[in-house]
Amino acid sequence: MKKKALIVDDNANNLMLEKDLSEITGFEVFEARNAADGIAIAGREKPYIILMDVRFPDMRGTAASRILRQDKETCDIPIVFVTSSVMAEGIEEIKNITNTGFMGKPINTRTFAKEISQFIK
Amino acid sequence: MRDQDKTKEQRVAEKRVAELVVSEAQHKRKEHRIQEALEYAESIIETVRGPLLVLDSDLKVVRANRSFYDFFKVTPEETIGSFIYDLGNRQWDIPRLRTLLEDILPKDNKIDDYEVEHEFSNIGHRIMLFNARRIIQKEIASRTILLAIEDITERREIETGLGKAHEALKELATELKRTAKVKSEFLANMSHELRTPLNSVIGFSEVSYDETFGTLNEKQKKYVNNILTSGKHLLLLINQILDTAKVEAGKMNLALSSLPMKSLLNEMLLPIEDMAGKKKLQMVLEIAEDLPDIGADELKVREINYNLLSNAVKFTPEGGTIGMRAKKADSEIEIVVWDTGVGIAPENMEKIFEGFFRVDTPYSRSTEGTGLGLPLSRKLAELHGGKLSVESEGLNKGASVRFALPIISGKVE
Repeated sequence: MKKKALIVDDNANNLMLEKDLSEITGFEVFEARNAADGIAIAGREKPYIILMDVRFPDMRGTAASRILRQDKETCDIPIVFVTSSVMAEGIEEIKNITNTGFMGKPINTRTFAKEISQFIK
Repeated sequence: MRDQDKTKEQRVAEKRVAELVVSEAQHKRKEHRIQEALEYAESIIETVRGPLLVLDSDLKVVRANRSFYDFFKVTPEETIGSFIYDLGNRQWDIPRLRTLLEDILPKDNKIDDYEVEHEFSNIGHRIMLFNARRIIQKEIASRTILLAIEDITERREIETGLGKAHEALKELATELKRTAKVKSEFLANMSHELRTPLNSVIGFSEVSYDETFGTLNEKQKKYVNNILTSGKHLLLLINQILDTAKVEAGKMNLALSSLPMKSLLNEMLLPIEDMAGKKKLQMVLEIAEDLPDIGADELKVREINYNLLSNAVKFTPEGGTIGMRAKKADSEIEIVVWDTGVGIAPENMEKIFEGFFRVDTPYSRSTEGTGLGLPLSRKLAELHGGKLSVESEGLNKGASVRFALPIISGKVE
């Protein structure tokens, strides 16, 4: 059975790019366009990994990840923040959340699979 | 006549004369002393630099010094003997002066720094400090009033001006801080907003070019590569603008480590040799055997070198030569990147550091570049405590960029 990946991004194009790259890597991909849907799907599907943007219309990705960390079912899922906020403030924001990674946009499609695999134990 | 022969009357008369002579001498001495005292007072009055008035008990002017006449532009004729309030066509009828002379001074014989502000028709608006003394001379049963005046109009204006300037500076500083914050937030937002669409542009064109989901024909592949190259060019621009802003805001921090410069330079030359080969450029390398390791930020040093070397390739037409010399010079290492390319006209030597400046030749128009690489490289070199300068003998005479980095720049971790 394929490993599950959850991708949360409010930009349809970027979501599609990450989805296609993840599927090529061999994941079964679930998608969400906002943080609330992402949290719901994470609880239901318990993915191997979550790729998440930081800015959403409903809440910040960091706030969503804190909610996931409080739930027994989702607290251990690695979260990779795939974000355009590559300046110091953006990196500072995610520093204190456990079991997370950082991937700056624009992503490198050639190293994407390798980078993702580093975050999975 | 012998003394014993004088009559009693004669003796009395002589004594009286002698007494008169003594009294006359005493009187003369006294008068002399008075005269001296008057001259003494007179010279004090004339020596004082500020305007001075002497009034009698009826507030009429007895004396005024030269400074008074000069300053208030009045003549002794219209002043001496006049009632003070009548001076200068009753210009001196100043309510605050009346209060001083009629209410305060009779109760207190000594007043200092009494401020009077007045609009004079001949000398304009004036702010003055009055020192007043009432001198009671019992013997002649008279009261004399001394008024010493200091004009503080200009001093007050300067003080007020300084106060205002200080306030204005404070406001400016607050405004500058606010502007810096707005600018930095704007840049963070701009960076974010531009990266989001660029992620699609670069990501999809890269995947397409790599033919991950199926093959492209030759023309499609060429087009997709153009999209990818342009996307990456845009990304480079964004990064260089952000870096420039960061250095300017003093927010660029160096991650210092010990860099083996010799191997680093040799490693960096590989992709450049590739670029140069495509343009059939000769490459001349003179990297000193004893080139020491330096303490510097590796990414920044790579960036400077890449910018300079890629500029040399870009701005040298086919068949030309580019080169690099690197050596130790005292406590620095000096690297010179040179070429035989399009060169720089003397009038453009400073403009090339202003940002977005591209030497306007038919050749350079066709070359890729952001126009930010060189100014940013200089800023990064300076951030290390180093220098970067450009030399060129003119258009089409090639150029050389010399940059020096200290062997130890700050703390090496």
